[in-house]
Amino acid sequence: MQGNEQGLVDISITLNGREQKVAVPADMSALKLIREVLGLKGTKEGCSIGECGACTILVDRQAVNACLVFAPQLDGKDVQTIEGLNREPRFQALQQAFLDRHAVQCGFCTPGLLISVYALLLEEPCPDRDEVIRSIAGNLCRCTGYHQILSGVDRAINPDAEWRPDVG
Amino acid sequence: MNLVYQTVGQSIDKKDGRQRLRGEPLFSADLELENALVLKVLRSSKAHAEIESIDSDAASALPGVVQIFTARDIPGRNLMGIINKDQPLLVVDKVRSLGDAVALVAAESETAANAALQAIRVDYRDLPAVFDPQQALTEEAPLIHAEGNLLCRRDIIRGDIHAGFAAAAVIVEQTYQTSFVEHAFLEPDAGAGYVDSDGVLVIHASTQNPHYDRSEVSGVLRLPKERVRIIQAATGGGFGSKLDVNCQGFIGLALYHLQRPVRLVYTREESFLATAKRHPLTITMKSGVDSTGKLTAAKVRILCDTGAYGSYGIAVVSRAAVHALGPYALDNVAIESLGVYTNNPYCGAMRGFGAPQAAFASESQMDLLAAELGMDPLKIRKINALRPGSVTVTGQKLEASVGYLECLEAIEPYYQAAKAEWLPAQVPEYRRRGIGLGGMFYGIGNTGTKNPSTARVVMDQTGQATLYTGCADIGQGSSTVLIQILAETLGLEYENIQMVAADTGRTTSAGATSASRQTYISGNAVLDASKKLAAILCSLGARQLKTAASDLVLRKGQVQDRRDPSRGISLAELAALARKQGIELFGEGRFDPVTTSLDPETGQGDPYATYAFACQLALLSVDVLTGEVRVDKVVAAHDVGRAVHPENVKGQICGGVAMGLGFALMEAFEPGKTESLKDYHIPTCSDMPEVIPLIVESEEPSGPYGAKGVGEPALIPTAPAIANGLALALGERITTLPANLERVLEAGLKAGLFGA
Repeated sequence: MQGNEQGLVDISITLNGREQKVAVPADMSALKLIREVLGLKGTKEGCSIGECGACTILVDRQAVNACLVFAPQLDGKDVQTIEGLNREPRFQALQQAFLDRHAVQCGFCTPGLLISVYALLLEEPCPDRDEVIRSIAGNLCRCTGYHQILSGVDRAINPDAEWRPDVG
Repeated sequence: MNLVYQTVGQSIDKKDGRQRLRGEPLFSADLELENALVLKVLRSSKAHAEIESIDSDAASALPGVVQIFTARDIPGRNLMGIINKDQPLLVVDKVRSLGDAVALVAAESETAANAALQAIRVDYRDLPAVFDPQQALTEEAPLIHAEGNLLCRRDIIRGDIHAGFAAAAVIVEQTYQTSFVEHAFLEPDAGAGYVDSDGVLVIHASTQNPHYDRSEVSGVLRLPKERVRIIQAATGGGFGSKLDVNCQGFIGLALYHLQRPVRLVYTREESFLATAKRHPLTITMKSGVDSTGKLTAAKVRILCDTGAYGSYGIAVVSRAAVHALGPYALDNVAIESLGVYTNNPYCGAMRGFGAPQAAFASESQMDLLAAELGMDPLKIRKINALRPGSVTVTGQKLEASVGYLECLEAIEPYYQAAKAEWLPAQVPEYRRRGIGLGGMFYGIGNTGTKNPSTARVVMDQTGQATLYTGCADIGQGSSTVLIQILAETLGLEYENIQMVAADTGRTTSAGATSASRQTYISGNAVLDASKKLAAILCSLGARQLKTAASDLVLRKGQVQDRRDPSRGISLAELAALARKQGIELFGEGRFDPVTTSLDPETGQGDPYATYAFACQLALLSVDVLTGEVRVDKVVAAHDVGRAVHPENVKGQICGGVAMGLGFALMEAFEPGKTESLKDYHIPTCSDMPEVIPLIVESEEPSGPYGAKGVGEPALIPTAPAIANGLALALGERITTLPANLERVLEAGLKAGLFGA
């Protein structure tokens, strides 16, 4: 990372598996970089202050709110957005489980939610309910009441899981 | 009769569900239009003030600023509103609430647009403001609109309340208060537009009613409707707020003058500041009951604070009155419901239109009455439940699909078990448990007014069907349900059905996605269109099969002989044949529910063609030291007529319970203080109780395959069930929502629980 003559910062990131070099203003958010500079619209802006989780991305396999990270902080990192994860078989299995359990309504929170769950599953393939809840407690959904989402996660962990009404 | 359907009643994959899971649908803020200008709105920093001058010269001169618009630039009618038109797109001479739109900036970049907002100079002259609806009705209150501060009133008068109260063994009277509530859909309002080669202003927007948007935008711009085309972009929830024209009018104005692509994306803060809220209601309710538990009379006064503008206020005032006393038969009532302007944020539609607030009051009253009589809360509800043949407070006789008792019966085993086992269980002394019931009924569609929907089904020469509907699916799943109704009626595989939706350039109006009306009303319009096409296909098939059309059915992509399915002809063959004969295969459908308008004096009439019913049971525990409430379980029984898509119904129920829990315990928008999701909290995953949805199907004869609706009903019983559970746990009733930590602690103190 280094500053260039226009006051921009040159950074290099691995975005969805491809190395990418870009010059960004120092105070640009990662969210703005992803959506507006790189044109990846699957990452959503819901609040821009880290409250809703709609902009969740993976940075070095950790779930991160893109609105709370400055673009230069991504320098040298491995960044994955929904567009890249759509190609990963394990992510696709999670999506299928969500589809099977009707865990998507409007779909605006969905990419961020899936990524939060996926980050957990990368670390812990068989998390318990509490761990799942903690992983998505920062992802707001106003449509579903979360039950079908949790049911989708259950199914991704164990494809034979029955529908469970409880969250706790 | 329990008919077996192919698609109706099956939880098929959501239409576009896979794309949504892949983050592919384009929401308004995702639309990239080449060379698009950025729009920003300058908003009032005053709650009530005259505008003496707007000086935009310095702002206009800034680099990258293209143009700044004020009210003078509006060529048409600068007043908008769904029911009454009182809200300017850009204010003319005064602002009436914080966040009123004063000027519109079009600039080459967001930075330039923001700089222009800073540089516009507005001179205000403060006016006295009023924020309390009761005060707003007094003689000395400042006038917010020239016609006065009373927006509207709705009275419902039936029977003789004096005789009714005289016959009562017990009378209880209480005042209930609810708060402003923010819709907090996940997608902030946004839109983008361009002018097409025919000179049509094309606006993509996050909306619940594109056809209304078109008439409003064309009115503001004084253009024929054909010159404006609204296309619903993928919409990230609405819950009523996206029924108002938010971004669309500004985009239209900029397109009209600049003839260049533009985009407008609200920040979350702007969405909070500038869009409608749920009406806070003050409800004073006096209810009488005889010694057997039968309700004898009720007197209700409702004050609805509509804020600075009407929006859907008139509907809220009316619906709150009609639903004030819940799903109970009552012969003697006097209900007065007033809608009042204040300088608060304007209030509009939000999931339930006043019914959730009313249910909080009336269901609290039911428990108070039961307690006075020493009667079980479930029993008093059963005694008074509306049932087939009952007459509502508006004098409407309910003939069929009155499933309230069935909901109560579905809840009963859970209720009895909770009462017998869960409630008396040993818990630490600082914890108190409570269980509570909440009931509701809800009229499907608009109140006593026409609200038709239309649809068109077209079959191409290969036998593939396309549905054209104006219906905006905002996430709740109407597109999936409408396709199921079409597939069922034409005997088609749902996967092969194409859909064109919510585009005023290609579809006819389906009315608003509101009032839980799309399954029932647009579903019936699709059914009508499908049946008409089916009749044509059967008559063509009859000629080929040399049999009477009445002996034919559509099944599995064929027209078949009802008695001998081996005698059939495929729709593809029929469609090719029709093509050869020059016959166009399509059906156009329409449905408008049968209603009568309410009498202006007495409020008597049949305002809805059908009603949904529900009862929810909440089990909760209170920490009396901290005031923390944990809802452990909600059992939710909902009569939906027929569940066309059971998992969608469950999704609506669980989502409604979440929103109802927020309404009950945590959500209050404080005008001038609440800014964003940092200080307005909605339920997260970890706030949610176990939810057991129970689907009750009391078939509606006039519904598509018996269906009614569930969107709003899902939310309505939750807050009263929680409030009643809290009252039992604390021994003290909370009458103001939300029942937040402070109010719970205060109630606990009053009851002598603190430090127990």
